[in-house]
Amino acid sequence: MAGKSGSTPATYSPSLSGQKKKRPPVLADSNWVRPDGRTLHQCRPAFLRTGAVNSASGSAYAEFGNTKVIVSVFGPRESKKAMMYSNSGRLNCNVSYATFATHVRGQMPETKDISSMLHKALEGAIILKSFPKTTVDVFALVLESGGSDLPVITTCASLALADAGIMLYDMVTSVSVSCLGKNLLIDPLSEEESYQDGSLMITCMPSRNEVTQMTVTGEWSTPKINEAMQLCIDACSKLGKIMRSCLKEAASITQD
Amino acid sequence: MDSERKGGRGANQLRPVDCSRNVLSRAHGSASCSHGETRVLAAVYGPKAGTKKNENPEKACIEITWKPKTGQIGKPEKEFEMILKRTLENICLLTVHPNTTTSIIVQVVHDDGSLLPCAIHAACAALLDAGIPLKYLAVAICCCLTESGNILLDPSKLEEQKMKAFVCLVFPSSIHSVLPEGSISIGGESKGDGIITSLTHGVMRVEDYFQCVEQGRAAITPLSNILKKKLQSQSASNLSKAG
Amino acid sequence: MAVTSGPNDLSSEMEVDAFRRLFPLRFHERHLLESLRPDGRPLGRARDTTLMLGAVASANGSAMAKIGSTTMLAAIKMEVMTPTAEAPDEGCIAIEFHMPPICSPLVRPGRPAEVAPVISKQLSDTILSSGMIDLKELCLVGGKAAWMAYLDIYCLDADGALFDAALLSAVAAFSHLQIPVVSLNDDGRIVIISEDNNGGAMKEKEPVNKEKIKLKLKSVPFSLTCVLHKKYILADPTSEEESIMETFLTVVLDSSFQLVSLNKPGGPGLTNSSAIQDCVTLTRQRVKELQKILNEAISDMEVD
Repeated sequence: MAGKSGSTPATYSPSLSGQKKKRPPVLADSNWVRPDGRTLHQCRPAFLRTGAVNSASGSAYAEFGNTKVIVSVFGPRESKKAMMYSNSGRLNCNVSYATFATHVRGQMPETKDISSMLHKALEGAIILKSFPKTTVDVFALVLESGGSDLPVITTCASLALADAGIMLYDMVTSVSVSCLGKNLLIDPLSEEESYQDGSLMITCMPSRNEVTQMTVTGEWSTPKINEAMQLCIDACSKLGKIMRSCLKEAASITQD
Repeated sequence: MDSERKGGRGANQLRPVDCSRNVLSRAHGSASCSHGETRVLAAVYGPKAGTKKNENPEKACIEITWKPKTGQIGKPEKEFEMILKRTLENICLLTVHPNTTTSIIVQVVHDDGSLLPCAIHAACAALLDAGIPLKYLAVAICCCLTESGNILLDPSKLEEQKMKAFVCLVFPSSIHSVLPEGSISIGGESKGDGIITSLTHGVMRVEDYFQCVEQGRAAITPLSNILKKKLQSQSASNLSKAG
Repeated sequence: MAVTSGPNDLSSEMEVDAFRRLFPLRFHERHLLESLRPDGRPLGRARDTTLMLGAVASANGSAMAKIGSTTMLAAIKMEVMTPTAEAPDEGCIAIEFHMPPICSPLVRPGRPAEVAPVISKQLSDTILSSGMIDLKELCLVGGKAAWMAYLDIYCLDADGALFDAALLSAVAAFSHLQIPVVSLNDDGRIVIISEDNNGGAMKEKEPVNKEKIKLKLKSVPFSLTCVLHKKYILADPTSEEESIMETFLTVVLDSSFQLVSLNKPGGPGLTNSSAIQDCVTLTRQRVKELQKILNEAISDMEVD
């Protein structure tokens, strides 16, 4: 009741003194070192863990370098009252960003687009017929945004769905590639994304060799697209193996 | 000792309390309550069929809307709503009308300190006016702790701002009941010294808190008698003494 | 668990899980008779508590607190503001508590949890009134620039005693807070001085806050929530216990055991003074525990 609240004054985040970061010179040779010391075709180390949230039916935590995401899955549970009867189950996706996720507080990307992208990426992999009349909710929270957010969210969500015991045709894995001049950078950082010429993202089910989602933005030549697609699919199948071993590990712990 | 209070009040002296029922014609029950300059209007609608999601349908549900005097509804209003809801859940017989919702709208007319006690009294009186079954009335009091360790009751806005800490307490009114003995005591608790709600603000010693509880409790009986008298004098002859 | 069943009691005829769901209150009361709780704790004991400082790299200070499975992530971001005319030499702290839909099946997107703004308000009341932080320390240039500390607390997993975990994470985030070294540039704006000396390309201004990198925290507040049911007092309830026994009491004491807040927002039960006194005693023990956990987390941080 007491205390001096009131309207919050305007604030700004102090910027670094000195010059702004410029786009690095595009070098022709392929062993050019990236800001975090990776080579061009090297992914960030991935850390995956299931069962991060106890109150959810299934959950997963993913950490790819500085990109940190938590996904909870609830359900299958009663659909919203307004929903019509449906023979197949429904999928509901929502992505939100923590206020401290980005470098400047509250400067977040449009989460509606990301939510619908996530929905489209997962929809094809879930056996919706296995839970008629009900809804599965997939909620994601980005704790830190360090680049390639959507691929990480998609991968983490698929792991959470598997943890919740939702029937899937296959795990869904997702990787993106940035095009920077003549070079292709796999699993780009947000810094690299900010000065990319084009971006390509593939979401696929590695064991079935099927693609559920692919986006291409920016300037690409056909051979580059082919090269980037191959890079992504290779990385996806490797990621799929990591996810599988993560799930097996979790299952062996609960069995003991 | 700055025992000097505005208007020459003593430390334990309350401001004049007024409470009137049936002040709005459209609501099922309504009341207006004032403590000195502080004034709150409450209206009750219901019980209406059904409860909100996530509420227990085996009990009656209480819904509070807190309207500030000016400005938008923010966090303090949400907190008042929660406190008022949980306080009234204590005094209402929730099992009488299961799976219903009773809405209470609280409109702050003027805030001059001790707002929450005034709102609780207004809401109680409005529930009584609407004929919602109650176990007892809730009687609330605000205690302020000065820097020198003195306790002032029923502070005004100015006094609230100057104080080191304050405590807001809600007690059940003293019970002269027509109900059979024992039906009021919950789980064998002695009803004499129970506290329904306690809120504090500011740092104080634990002993100071209990001192406040004692002084507050002492002021409850006369306050609850005044409230009952005010409410009874206007009550229609066919209304039972619900207090 | 061996139970002595009376007549008309279904507990001997049905599975434990079914009994727990159908008669939750009786299930818990049975345990209380044995002075034990369904998770095996004695009544007065809090769940295992862990604290990790520096969980968020993009923030100036951060901490993750876990009490049982209740998980809170708090992060502080420092921004610059012009202080108000009434307090030209004071900074400001803005505290926000979030319950994103990931934390509980009861929260859905677009329909935020009702308790979130209430806990938010209680947290800022507690932290600001406890006198833990001297707002004058957040001043940069008197009347011109001061820090605005945005403290955001996210509930990652909600399993009871949300306020306790949120307060613990908030306090820990403040003790981890590292204020960037800044200077005032020619345009009157505050800029960060880069750590690596990139030559003499830019003539760096004198830093304005060289001695104020860490906040001095005095009288750190810690809290304990208890559920009161009949004559029993259950410390640190889980969400199941909170939903079944609906009378809670939260006591906040600072490190010198002064009362910062005693919050009992109604509820079906009445509480007498002796029960409150018992809760305060339990909180005293808990404050010692939490103080130790915080000190250990800080010293672990310094070793790294």
